[in-house]
Amino acid sequence: MGIHLGVWNMAVLFYIIRKLVLREDGVMQAIHVEELEKTFRVRRKEKGMRGSVQAILRPQTEEIRAVKGVSFGVDAGEMLAFIGPNGAGKSTTIKMLTGILYPDGGRATVLGIDPAKRRRQLAYQIGTVFGQKEQLWTHLTPYDNFRFFGAIYDIPEKETERRIGELAERFELGEFINTPVRNLSLGQRIRCEIVASLLHKPQVLFLDEPTIGLDPVVKESVRSLIRQMNREFNTTIFLTSHDVGDIEKICKRIIIVNAGQIVLDDSMEHLKYHYLHKKIVEVKMQEETALPQVEGITILKRKGTHARLEVDTGRIEIGDALRRINASDVEDINISNVPLENIIMDIYKAEGRDTAS
Amino acid sequence: MDRQEKPAGLNVGVLEKRWRLPGRKYRVIYRSVLMENLQYAANIALGFFGYFVFIFIFVKLWDYMYRSPGELIAGYSKEQMIWYVMMTEMMWFGSNASAVGRQVKTDIRGGNIAYLMNKPYHYTLYILAKYTGEWSIRLPMYAGLAAVIGTVMVGPVPGFRLITVPAMALCIVLGLTINAVFKICIGLLSFWIEDSSPFQWLYDKLLLVVGTVFPVEIFPKAWQSFFKLTPIYTVCYGPAKLIVDFQPEKCVEILAAQGLYLAAGCILMFSVYRKGVRKLYVNGG
Amino acid sequence: MLTAVKNQVRVCALSIKYNIMREMLNQVTFLMNVTFMILNNASILIQWFILFRLREEIGGYTMREIMVLWGLTAASFGLSHILFARVYSLPELIVSGKLDSYLVQPKSVLLGVMTSSTDVSAIGDLLYGVILLMVAGLSVRGFLFSLLFVVTGAVTLTAFALLLGSLAFWFVRVEMLSGQMVMGLVSFATYPDGIFRGISRFLLYFILPVGMVVYHPVHILVRFDGGMLFTVLVYACLLSAAAAAVFYRGLRRYASSSLMEARM
Repeated sequence: MGIHLGVWNMAVLFYIIRKLVLREDGVMQAIHVEELEKTFRVRRKEKGMRGSVQAILRPQTEEIRAVKGVSFGVDAGEMLAFIGPNGAGKSTTIKMLTGILYPDGGRATVLGIDPAKRRRQLAYQIGTVFGQKEQLWTHLTPYDNFRFFGAIYDIPEKETERRIGELAERFELGEFINTPVRNLSLGQRIRCEIVASLLHKPQVLFLDEPTIGLDPVVKESVRSLIRQMNREFNTTIFLTSHDVGDIEKICKRIIIVNAGQIVLDDSMEHLKYHYLHKKIVEVKMQEETALPQVEGITILKRKGTHARLEVDTGRIEIGDALRRINASDVEDINISNVPLENIIMDIYKAEGRDTAS
Repeated sequence: MDRQEKPAGLNVGVLEKRWRLPGRKYRVIYRSVLMENLQYAANIALGFFGYFVFIFIFVKLWDYMYRSPGELIAGYSKEQMIWYVMMTEMMWFGSNASAVGRQVKTDIRGGNIAYLMNKPYHYTLYILAKYTGEWSIRLPMYAGLAAVIGTVMVGPVPGFRLITVPAMALCIVLGLTINAVFKICIGLLSFWIEDSSPFQWLYDKLLLVVGTVFPVEIFPKAWQSFFKLTPIYTVCYGPAKLIVDFQPEKCVEILAAQGLYLAAGCILMFSVYRKGVRKLYVNGG
Repeated sequence: MLTAVKNQVRVCALSIKYNIMREMLNQVTFLMNVTFMILNNASILIQWFILFRLREEIGGYTMREIMVLWGLTAASFGLSHILFARVYSLPELIVSGKLDSYLVQPKSVLLGVMTSSTDVSAIGDLLYGVILLMVAGLSVRGFLFSLLFVVTGAVTLTAFALLLGSLAFWFVRVEMLSGQMVMGLVSFATYPDGIFRGISRFLLYFILPVGMVVYHPVHILVRFDGGMLFTVLVYACLLSAAAAAVFYRGLRRYASSSLMEARM
């Protein structure tokens, strides 16, 4: 009896403290990661027959440190892009945060819960969409699938019905909600996947390449769904993608990992500002004229009356640069930023070289 | 060496252009699978357990069934009876014939067949060559195992002469090939039905119950003449019978029957395949 | 606590229901699988007719006991493969990293994985087993007991496969071995225990749990023995607990598909 009371009291105390902490901070960090580590052991095999024999007799293993001491925090309601080249450790990190993998070192909490220790408890509060993996039963209709997920998340039947209706309307599933999933197009299917992972109103949504293989129209609708989720329910979004469009159009903050380490953690705006001291100017002239030869302007390409220039705004103001072009001669002009894709590629390359050497 | 390590399907097309014996491409397929399978030798050895269990059960069963040492059941001594099972099971486990049927089924049902049938080889022969490469590794390993446990548990085969080995080996090879041809035929039914495996089970069970665990002589007389007409006689009973009780005239008879069966089986296989492919073209898979 | 269990059971039941629904999409294939499996099993009886032509009893069994033995084994095997077919391919799932979707659900990973597929032909096994038990001439009480043993047998068999399959978290090559051991167990379970003596008998009662799956139940059905019944029930529970413990211990080593990505 005494022991029971003790446990009960402690639980209450814990609850009160947590409430107090939350109120004090105003917002709790949705994700908190400290020095997270994961190492895989891989069996190594030399080439050819001799290698095969050796692998059987004397197996050799090799350690691959997929994640090497990663730390970061994500506030509730933030929209974060977690990106990096293949094999950088982003999937491994996302899997540790969702309780799929056990970390080898460091600490991670999601909504104050340790994914490795209280996986099930966490699962009620988070949603996952893995673009390449399907969690729906293909022979059932989306409707039946949603009901199954309702059962998994212990949502009462009536409430499940209500939420299905609500989400189906918002995500425009009406016309195919009663068609077996195997007969749906990829775009319809991924929309259903997302709805299935939203049914239990997760506070954090993990998306691993959600738009892979989709056409531009569907991509756009998936992105707007995600933004909408964030706006209406303040859902924290944790996204990995190779698609710069996803990153640019959804996220406000970006973390770049390479070779198991964070190489950049910055706001999207800051990243652009920081790296965007170059502008691309494309002009079409009425006739072939000489282009300005000034410091800070590089001619990237020139063909007949078309020209493409790169203006380094650190050295020359954009207004100055434009003044050098004969305005009365210009037939058409277009000024743009260096694409984000190029910026990210530059970061990958630069950091990759650093860590490799 | 390098050439053989490449996947089989890729370089046969090149070889085709050179002047070679027509059988050459199948030999290349055979050899590359053989190389691949050497690496899985360790896995095969793990499969010994299942074989051992079967043999163990039958040793115990026949131990129980034979009351006195010199007793004969259906004309077989206890040693012959156990060696008979050991040989048929060796062929069963050593050939892993279910893999052929399964491969054909998945190729056809999975749509892979569309790529395979336009390659410069005949699909069924490709499967056959591939499969032969597989059992060329397995069977000798099982033969070694059978020889060891047989000698330890029941003693050497009564009246065994080394000189008869080549004839037996030929018989076994033919038996396995005939079996594979029939399994491919059943697998080819997948062109028409969604799942051909129930037919594979029935065929397997026929071989297992009638030809593998007992020699045909143990059945009532009326059944025996029927069994002689089924593949059992050439696939399992024939080769095993020769091993436990070699007689030259019996050997000739079995080889002749195998020749006939192989020819008939191949004709059946080719015609079923042709019909299936035609159906595929008409219906577009 | 009680609602949690209820919810878990509901999810498992739904999962099994959907599995079977999927297999029934093509009715011809479904019916063919089931009936051919019944025929397939029935053909083995030929072997026993032949053997009983030679001797009246084998290892203390007559045809009737053989039918009970076969009935129990086929039905247990069938039940286990209908409900928990995935346990038998668990090593493959572990090695290729396909447990992810069960790990992000707020339900038991183990039960989620176990109930995630079914084996249609096993319905044929179960039907065949039950039919055999019905025609084997058991009393009504005996028949009811035999149904209980079908359940304990299925549980023990599943737990055994789970225990071995979970070793794949540590050893990649377990795949082959666990399949072999399970099939070995089933092979033994279709022959009378009276033909095995000495060490092999010990092996069948303590290493491969054949004794617990089928031999003890057959003996109990021939002549009731409360102590033996108790042993069978307790063993089924203990083995299940041990298997689950090994699975969850191994789950900490689960590498998802990251290993395969790392290999590239």
